[in-house]
Amino acid sequence: MKLFQTEHRRALRAFYGEGHAAFSTLLESLAGTLEAEVAPSSARFDADSGGISSARRRLFEAGLCRMPFDSHGGLSLPFGVYSLAMELVGAADAPTAMSLGIHNTVADGVFRYGSESQKKEVFEDLVSGKRLASFSLTEPSSGSDARAMSTTATKTGSSYRITGTKTFITNAGEADVYFVVARSEKGHSAFLVDGSAPGLSVGADIPKLGMRGSRTAEVRMDGCSVPAENLVGEDGRAFEYVKSMLSGSRIVMGSICVGIALAAYRKALHYATERKLFEKKLSDMQMTRERVADMRAGINSSRSMCLYASRIKETGEDYGSEAAQAKIIATETASRVCDQAIQLFGGYGYTNADVHRHWRDARLLTIGEGASEVLRLIVASMELGGAA
Amino acid sequence: MNIAVCVKHAVDEGELRADTSGRPQLQGALSKMGSFDRNAVEEAIRLKESNGGSVTVVCLGGADSKKTLKEALAMGCDKALAVASARALDALATSYYLSRALKKAGPFDVVLLAEGASDTYHGLVGPMLARWLGLPFLGFARKVEVNGSKVRTEAALEDRAESYETVLPAVISVVSEVNTPRYPTLLQIMQAAKKPMEEVTVESLTDEGAPKFGVTVGDVVVQSVDRKKLVFEGPAEETSRKLIDALRKEGLL
Amino acid sequence: MDVLVFSENPHLAAELLSAGAGLAAASGGRAYSVEADSVRQGTHGNALLLRSEVPLLGDPALLAEAISAARKTKVAPVVLIGSTKTGRMVAGGLAVLDQLCVLSDVRDLRVDGGRLTGTRGVYAGKFNALVGGPLPSIALIPQGSYEPFSEPSGPVEEVRVTTGPPKVSREELRSSAKSSLDLRGAKVIVAAGRGLKAKEDLAIVQRLADALGGVIGASRPLSSDLGWLGEEYHIGLTGVYVHPDLYVAVGISGQIQHVAGIRDSKVIVAINRDKQAPIFQVSDYGVVGDLYEVVPALLRALGRP
Repeated sequence: MKLFQTEHRRALRAFYGEGHAAFSTLLESLAGTLEAEVAPSSARFDADSGGISSARRRLFEAGLCRMPFDSHGGLSLPFGVYSLAMELVGAADAPTAMSLGIHNTVADGVFRYGSESQKKEVFEDLVSGKRLASFSLTEPSSGSDARAMSTTATKTGSSYRITGTKTFITNAGEADVYFVVARSEKGHSAFLVDGSAPGLSVGADIPKLGMRGSRTAEVRMDGCSVPAENLVGEDGRAFEYVKSMLSGSRIVMGSICVGIALAAYRKALHYATERKLFEKKLSDMQMTRERVADMRAGINSSRSMCLYASRIKETGEDYGSEAAQAKIIATETASRVCDQAIQLFGGYGYTNADVHRHWRDARLLTIGEGASEVLRLIVASMELGGAA
Repeated sequence: MNIAVCVKHAVDEGELRADTSGRPQLQGALSKMGSFDRNAVEEAIRLKESNGGSVTVVCLGGADSKKTLKEALAMGCDKALAVASARALDALATSYYLSRALKKAGPFDVVLLAEGASDTYHGLVGPMLARWLGLPFLGFARKVEVNGSKVRTEAALEDRAESYETVLPAVISVVSEVNTPRYPTLLQIMQAAKKPMEEVTVESLTDEGAPKFGVTVGDVVVQSVDRKKLVFEGPAEETSRKLIDALRKEGLL
Repeated sequence: MDVLVFSENPHLAAELLSAGAGLAAASGGRAYSVEADSVRQGTHGNALLLRSEVPLLGDPALLAEAISAARKTKVAPVVLIGSTKTGRMVAGGLAVLDQLCVLSDVRDLRVDGGRLTGTRGVYAGKFNALVGGPLPSIALIPQGSYEPFSEPSGPVEEVRVTTGPPKVSREELRSSAKSSLDLRGAKVIVAAGRGLKAKEDLAIVQRLADALGGVIGASRPLSSDLGWLGEEYHIGLTGVYVHPDLYVAVGISGQIQHVAGIRDSKVIVAINRDKQAPIFQVSDYGVVGDLYEVVPALLRALGRP
C-alpha cells in the first residue's frame, strides 16, 4: 500500500501554499522507508505484542524526531509537516508511531525548558535516537487529575530523592531517560531520571487491547536519587511545562489516529471493491457507498483539524483549545472509521486481527494523552470561562 | 573515479489500475524511481565510497523525472542531469540520447544502470548504450568489484553463472540482488535540493546519427484472466481435501 | 523475405525457427538458424554458420557484430532472437549497429504492410500492449511461444565474418546440470517462496511436485537472494515466464514481479498463511494455512504421505 498519496500532497498544498512541493518530496520519501521497513511488520507487532524496536530505530535514523526542532540537530520543519509525517507513521504502524510521538514529547520538553547542557547531552541524544525517552506523569490513583499526584521529590543537598509509582507508562523498560513529574516543596517539578538510576524499577508489561507493539508498564521509584542538574527548568513550574508539552503531543496523537483510520479505510475500500454479495460488488451497494463517504469525510476533517491546530502553533499563538479539538475529533473519528471498517468486512472483520487491530489501536487514544472528557473541559473553559 | 548511473522514472506498476475500458489509468498514476534502478544508484554510491570520485545520475524522461533525480541525489549522488524528452522514446532512442548526454557530461570510468525498467522491462538500454559509447558491456551483474583500472563482475545467466573482466571504462548493468538500496534520511533529502541539477533536451543532443525510426506502441489493454479466487480456510485436513476435490473437477489430477 | 533466428539455447532456437519459417513462408522466403563457430547437433532447418577469427559464442557483443556482418550478405528484414539475458545483449548490440527497432518479449508476431508487429506484456504483465516497428526489425521472443521446428536439418551456408577483438574476458563459474526447459514446458509446477524456513524444507515441496507429476520452481528470494535453488528456477519478470496447466505457489506472497511470470498458467493455486497475501488475488484456489501443515495434508490426501 502506498502511504503517501495525492490526498497528502493536496493537504500540504492547501495548508502550505507554494512551499508544499519540498514537503511532499520529503514525506513521500519517508513513506518509502515506512512501506519497506515498518508497514510489512505491523501485523506481526500486534500478534507478538512487541518487537517495534528495529522499526523505531529505522525512523530515528531517517531523522523523523528531528523534524520539528530548529536547532541542536533539528530540521526546522513546520510542526504541521511533522504531524503529517506522524500520520504516515501511524498508518504504517500505530504503536511505533505512539512510542516515537511520546518520546518526542519529552524531547520537546527538554528542548524548550531544559538547560543548555541538557539540550546538548540529552536532547541531541533523543532526536538522534541514541537514547529513548519515556514520559512518566500518570499515577495509579491520579489519571486525568494529574494535580492529585503523590510522587514526591525531596531535595537533599545537591540531589533530589524521588519516591512514587507511575503507571501506564509508554516505553517503560526500554527507555534510557524518564521524564518524571513529582511533587516538590515548591509545587511540581520535572526531572530527567536515568533508566539505570538506583531505586528505579519497571513492572511487568501491562497487557493491552491494542497498541500491542509498544510497551506499557509501571515505573516505580523508591528513594531514587537524581542529581539537581537533572531538574528540568525551574523547580515548581512543571505543570506549566507539561501543559504546553501535552498540547503539541495532542496534535501528534490526533495525527496518528488519522493514520490509523486511513489504514483501516483503505483495507475496507479494497475489500468492498473485491467482495461480491448477492451477485453485486459490495462497493456498488448504496449502504456501502454511504459508509465510504462518511469514512472519507471523517478522515479529511480530522486531518484538516490537526493541520489547522499545527498552523496556529507555528504562528506562536495559543493553540491549546485547537489542539484539544483536533485530538477529540481525530481520535473519536478513528474509532468510528475503524468500527465501520469492521462492519464492512462483516464476520471477517470481527475475526481477522489485521482488520480489527486498527480499531483496537485507535481505541486507546480517546483515553491516553488527554482523555476526551478532559479535552472537552479545556475547550469549554476557553469558550465559557471557568477552570478546565 | 567518475561514475555515471542512468535511471528511469517509472510508472508504479504495483499501483497501476485499469479504467473501465481496460486501459491503464496513466493519467495521475503514481510514479517512482524504477524498482531495479535503486540498486544501480546504490551500487554507484558504494563504488564512490570505496574508490572515491563522484557520481552523476542521469534520467531521461518528462518533467516528473526530477523526482527520481532528487531521490538519487538524496541517496548520495553528487549531481544530476535531466535529459528532457516530451514524448516516450523506445530503447534505441533512449540509449542514443543517454549516450550523447554522457559523452557531453563525461568522460566516465563506469556507467551503471539496472538490468531493465520495472514498468516496461526490455533489458535493452544497457547493451545499446555500451555499443553507442563503444565501451565493453558487463550485463546482469550481481557482484561488482573495481580494482584499479579493471572491473570484474559476476552475472547469473539462466543456466549458469559467469564472471567477466574488462578494463575501464565500461558499462555495467546490475540485478536487484547486487545490494540492498539505502533509504535517504530526511536531512539528506533536504540537502539534495541544494545539489546541482542540470537539464538538457533531447533536441539539443540530436545529430545525424539519431535513430530515424522507433517502436510504436498501439493499444494497451489489461491482461484479463478472471481468476476464481476461491479461498479455503480451516483445518489443513479439510482445506487440502477441498483443494484436491477442486483440482479433480478441473481435470488436473 | 528471409528471416534470421538466433538463440544460444538450442530449444529456443528451434521454436524461433518455427516462428521465422511462418513469417518467411508468406513471402516466399526462408528462415535460417544462425549458428556461431560450429553447427550445433540436432539443428533443424537451414543454418547460417558464422565463422570469425575469434570465437563468437559466449560473447554477446561479438555475436551482435557477427550477425550484423552476415546481414550484409544475407538480406534479412526480420531477425528473431531468443528472450534470454544473452539474447537481450545480442539484440541490443545488433540494433545499434544496424539501426533496427527491437520488439522485446513479443507473441503473436506478424508482418503487415512493411511492419513487424506483436503483443507484449507491460507493467509487470498486468497489461498487454500492441507494438510494432518498421522493417527491418528485431524481435525478442520468449520460450514457449511457438512449437519447436521439427523438420530435419537442411543445408548449411557458411559466412566468414570479421569482428573486433573481444573486450571482455569471460569465465564460467557454475554450470547448471538442469536445463530451464523443464520449467517452461512443464505442465505442473510447484513453486516455493519465502514462506519456506530452511533449504532442507524444499524436500516437501519436491514431494508435492512429484505427487502432482510436476517440477519445482521458486520465487526470486529463494533462487537469487538465498541461493537455495539455481537462477534457472527463478520464475518471474526477470526470470522465467511459465505457462503450466497447474501452478501451485507454496509460501509465495505474490510480489508483482513474481506474478508477471505466472499469468499464463491455466489454474493457479496458492498456499499461504497470510490471508492478505496478494497471491490470493491472482489465484483460482487458495488455502490459508501453514504450509508445513497444508503440504503434508495434501500429500496424505493424494495418497502420497
